[in-house]
Amino acid sequence: MFGVEDLHVRFGTAHAVRGVSFAVESGRTLAIVGESGSGKSVSLLAATGLLGGAGVVTGSARLGGTELVGASPGALRRLRGKDIGFVFQDPLANLHPLKTIGEQVGEAITAHERVRRTVLRRRVIELLDEVGIREPQRRVDDYPVHFSGGMRQRAMIAAAIALNPRLLIADEATTALDVTVQASILELLQRLQREHGTALVFVSHDLGVVSDIADDVVVLRAGEVVEAGPADRIYEAPEHPYTIELLSAVRRTGAARPATDRPRLLEVRNLNQRYASVTAVDDVSFDVGQGEIVGLVGESGSGKSTIGRIVSGLLRPTSGTVALEGEPYGVPVPPAIRPRIQVVFQDPYASLNPRRTIRAILTEPYAVHRRAADLDDLMRQVELDPGYLERYPAQLSGGQRQRVAIARAIALRPDLIVADEPVSSLDVTTQTQILALLRRLREELDTSFLFISHDLGVIAELCDRVLVLANGRVVENGPTTEVFDSPSNPYTRRLLDAIPGRKRGLVNV
Amino acid sequence: MSDALPAAPEAPPRTLASRISRERSARFGLITIATVVLLAGAAPIVAAITGHGPTDQYPAEALSEAGVPVGPNGDFWLGADGNGRDVLVRALYGARVSLLVGIPATTIAAVLGTAIGVVSGYFGGALDRVLSQVTDIVLSFPFVVTALSLVALNLGADGSPRISPVLLVIVVIALFAWTYVARLTRGLTLELRHRPFVEAAITLGASHRRIILREILPSVAPAVIIYWAVQLPTNIVAEATLSFLGIGVQAPTPSWGNMIADAQSTSLYQVQPWFLVVPAVGLFLTVLGFNALSSGVRNVLDPAR
Repeated sequence: MFGVEDLHVRFGTAHAVRGVSFAVESGRTLAIVGESGSGKSVSLLAATGLLGGAGVVTGSARLGGTELVGASPGALRRLRGKDIGFVFQDPLANLHPLKTIGEQVGEAITAHERVRRTVLRRRVIELLDEVGIREPQRRVDDYPVHFSGGMRQRAMIAAAIALNPRLLIADEATTALDVTVQASILELLQRLQREHGTALVFVSHDLGVVSDIADDVVVLRAGEVVEAGPADRIYEAPEHPYTIELLSAVRRTGAARPATDRPRLLEVRNLNQRYASVTAVDDVSFDVGQGEIVGLVGESGSGKSTIGRIVSGLLRPTSGTVALEGEPYGVPVPPAIRPRIQVVFQDPYASLNPRRTIRAILTEPYAVHRRAADLDDLMRQVELDPGYLERYPAQLSGGQRQRVAIARAIALRPDLIVADEPVSSLDVTTQTQILALLRRLREELDTSFLFISHDLGVIAELCDRVLVLANGRVVENGPTTEVFDSPSNPYTRRLLDAIPGRKRGLVNV
Repeated sequence: MSDALPAAPEAPPRTLASRISRERSARFGLITIATVVLLAGAAPIVAAITGHGPTDQYPAEALSEAGVPVGPNGDFWLGADGNGRDVLVRALYGARVSLLVGIPATTIAAVLGTAIGVVSGYFGGALDRVLSQVTDIVLSFPFVVTALSLVALNLGADGSPRISPVLLVIVVIALFAWTYVARLTRGLTLELRHRPFVEAAITLGASHRRIILREILPSVAPAVIIYWAVQLPTNIVAEATLSFLGIGVQAPTPSWGNMIADAQSTSLYQVQPWFLVVPAVGLFLTVLGFNALSSGVRNVLDPAR
């Protein structure tokens, strides 16, 4: 139905896509998987004429009997929306903030057909109903700000399927969403596909997400197909070393230490944080033991980062206490306690000052506390060559930068490290390496971690104990294995069921 | 263990001076500015060669019987002005005044504005509200009217100025120019304040002073340097404006501003265009040079490149 053969894309001298071929039939789902820069999105944009004049495209892409490569812009425009529907990653960036949801879904129809206003409105409401927006008659006149991330993505899907296209292309369509929302969007895409017999091409960096919906999988690396085949075969018996590496990167195995009586290090009691009428943190209490890794998991808005900032001493809570070895602290943190609690942030691009060398950045903790520094040794602890010390952050990869950020955090030998989504912005293979590094550091230094993540797979791999947050409250608190095996709270159960790839046994605790 | 680590590949050279000198626009700006500075420096030499001082009048040689200044000739290379003075020599001395007023005024404004803006943005709260109000109030003063009244205040009982008019012009310009720098740096600091790398410094236990000096200022500095180069020409023009209005550098001391004012008010540029063209071209070249330099520096300092 839709197929690409020997597709090449060149940007100047860069050969971004090198002879990619794949095909998908009606009613089937093809997953295209690869890390950032593998050419997965570029291939599809090139095949559907969305690259504009940016690259030189050769080869063939056919939809039904129509050749798309070299087709006139007008012909491609008539196909897009009508025969090919698109769903992209960021529903906020792709929705106009000053137009109502109804107008924007309607545009998908009026771009190809002349429809009377009343008929259009009825069709838009039907579409919103079909993609699972409740009370569509009322919500049709809302603006994107009134929609949650998941609802926006549903609206984008409504626009994509408005003209019942033969092919639906979803490019990282669930990447920006919470895990339970992701699960519901995947379910929706599968249902729509079943009902309409659409061919679905699902582009993702995450083999776990893909495992739940794909019939066939194509693995891309550096613009080339390294492996392709039925999903069952790819997951059960991958052949190419890169596929094996990608799979082992998303395969999470529990490494929780057995619960022993560890001396209590951090005590959080009755923490509350309110902003005007919003309660971000609602009466939260927990402990972190010496050398323990405690996971703080929850969806966006659950209050996990707020708790992290309070424990880090960056935010003053509305009420409640935080104490380190029985000594309460607030903002600003007393000098005796300050070096004992350090932080690793999510985005290593933002947490390192771009105008200072790695040497200057890593000298800082020692200089502030007038301690002797052995930067070469510090670099080796995070498995970086000391030769990188003279570099600027912009000259390092994302994984290397996160290693530098971790080095800064361990420089003062803290008792507690608060790590806020430290691997979320990294490629899966890099994630695995950073998680291994954190585990090793915990063994060597016996540092405690408060590990904040939205990703239960990552939590399973690293944490001894896990706290599940929902709407600012702790709904579950127990050893990781217990929480995963027998969750006591229905919300935890939903969260666990939504972990992508669990059905394929990718996540074991 | 270090053997197992992938070695860091050779890093590209990153000295600022070499990168600026390799940037085309910056190089053009630097050459233009250097030319202007060299010419200003050469003013006494040219005066010695021609034998004309900047304020010497030569009514016999340089003015016709009707009082019309002569055009360029072997003696007066670029002609004379309405008082029979050498236009070239005056323009070169005028360049000195323009740079002497423009550079200190802009630098004072940049330093003052950065200090106020960074402190205001970093500490926030009541201090920020007060400083922002002060900035707004200063911004709401009309420049020329305020300058006029300050000049009037500067006159002592005997009608002579209390402090040097050049100094006053510097102070007046700086007093108005810092507000823009303060607004710029306050905005940048507010945004930087909550960047993870600043928060990382807080969690290390670094003092406010240290965070401002090591984390905030290096990130604010490029914008201030660029703004300095953008504002310098504006401030040279401001000096010219004040001199043109007769409240800046006082006659007979030449500055580009009062030369242009002279040429304009006597209409003599219609018969001796060089009288007007020379200071105007000087001003144009200086403004062009600094604008080219600032756009070049902006390109070089952009960390995305």
